[in-house]
Amino acid sequence: MEIKILGKGCPKCKRLEELAREAAAEAGVEATFTKVKEMDEIMAYDVAVTPALVIDEDLKCSGRIPQKSEIVIWIQEAVSE
Amino acid sequence: MTVFQYVAMLLQTGLGSLAAYLAAHVLLCLLPAFFIAGALAALMPKEAITKYLGRNTPKWISYPASALGGFVLAVCSCTIMPLFASIYKKGAGLGPAITFLFVGPAVNILAISLTGVAIGMDIALARIILSIIFGIGIGLLMAWIFRKDDAAHDTETNNNAFGAEATVPARVWLFFALLLGTLIAGTLQVGLLTNSYATFTLGEAWAPGFQSWLDSVVPPNPSLGIEGVSVHGVLLIGLLILIGVTAWKGLNTVDEGYNRWTFVALGLVTLTIIVASFKVTAVASGLTIGITGKLIAEILLLAAVWWMAARKFEAYEIQEWLWEMWRFVKQIIPLLLVGVFIAGMARALIPAAWITTLAGRNTVWANLAGVLFGVFMYFPTLVEVPIAQTFLSLGMQRGPLLAYLLADPELSLQSILITNSIIGKKKTAVYVTLVAIFSTLAGLIFGMVVK
Repeated sequence: MEIKILGKGCPKCKRLEELAREAAAEAGVEATFTKVKEMDEIMAYDVAVTPALVIDEDLKCSGRIPQKSEIVIWIQEAVSE
Repeated sequence: MTVFQYVAMLLQTGLGSLAAYLAAHVLLCLLPAFFIAGALAALMPKEAITKYLGRNTPKWISYPASALGGFVLAVCSCTIMPLFASIYKKGAGLGPAITFLFVGPAVNILAISLTGVAIGMDIALARIILSIIFGIGIGLLMAWIFRKDDAAHDTETNNNAFGAEATVPARVWLFFALLLGTLIAGTLQVGLLTNSYATFTLGEAWAPGFQSWLDSVVPPNPSLGIEGVSVHGVLLIGLLILIGVTAWKGLNTVDEGYNRWTFVALGLVTLTIIVASFKVTAVASGLTIGITGKLIAEILLLAAVWWMAARKFEAYEIQEWLWEMWRFVKQIIPLLLVGVFIAGMARALIPAAWITTLAGRNTVWANLAGVLFGVFMYFPTLVEVPIAQTFLSLGMQRGPLLAYLLADPELSLQSILITNSIIGKKKTAVYVTLVAIFSTLAGLIFGMVVK
């Protein structure tokens, strides 16, 4: 599974990455984490406000830090698809 | 004066500014302002604004919405640049993007409330009103100058990034209103709030001696605008230090849940605002304590804020709010304190004659000098305010001062470079020129009005 964190590297993006890593561990899923910092790449996902979370090329949320439990559900959904 | 005395004098001036900041300005203005900034970042659904920034929004909505977005969404530069790029490339286009870029840094809640308290409500109001008018004006001009590019742009963008809808729930509006109330009650200088309705005297025999010791360590110097520190102030500084320590333990990972320290820190914040609202004066017989209108208002408002936080919001929302608030504090306060200290020392270093010659009168050149200083000096968020205060105390006219305060957050070499990477050299050059011209004009007009 590929999890991408979209954002310029501010504290919010770092926090989102931490939560995503913990969520993946909780769901028991092996995932690679990529930080996307280039503005053009971020915009390719139709994101207006960072930070944003992309799981297997699917935009899950943007403009806020989701709860860890939300991320766990997204990861599990992505696995079962 | 020996070198040692000179250095001691410099340190004393720096320390004086720092202490005055912590004891007077920071408290009743910045403490609530940081809570508001955190609430804007955590509780405000961003889509409630971004839905108006899309490609298909009519101009008369997208420009004001961009200006409002600057106020609501742009407390730090890590939100400004990505959103600026999205509005430009995927949303309403160059004009509204420029409006957003211009308004954001100048009118965020922290900058405005600090400007109002530290420099004056006239400058704070001018900063809001002129930033919004000029932001929209410069946006419209840019859109008109580059109308061909924008038309080409229109055809190749979808509206997906700005498609999501949201409205702000009523409880969030009410919560913002209460938080704003704590800021206003603490800072507004009207008799209803500042008058004491009851006074009593504590026979603290040490107080007068302690006050005169404080006056010798941090001598008040009205000619340089240095206020000195009161006994009350020392108590507040102590409380602030305690808040810092407990917040570090209680708020760093508050988004994962509360711990004991969270409640200690929040209790201390509440206590500090309440203690700061008393009117305390050292007199010969001890300390006179005044129960002010401000105190009563703050107690009622804070009670309502915490009641709402406990009852009307989900736990995770409040945790997000506290986490965002603390993030802003960690990001901004250390640099601000260093800035205040250095700007304080600069008061004693820079000869007043330099400033009065350069910007003591409200001329085109004085205003342009204010703007150029803003462009070439880069100061972290909010530090422009103590710097402006230093200039003011050294004799800068209020017109050039406003020109500086408008230009500084807008145009630093760093932000010009990032803007350049998003919209290209030609547009950036036109933008920078327009901002410089408009800021100079703003200062000139304001300087004529206040004189």
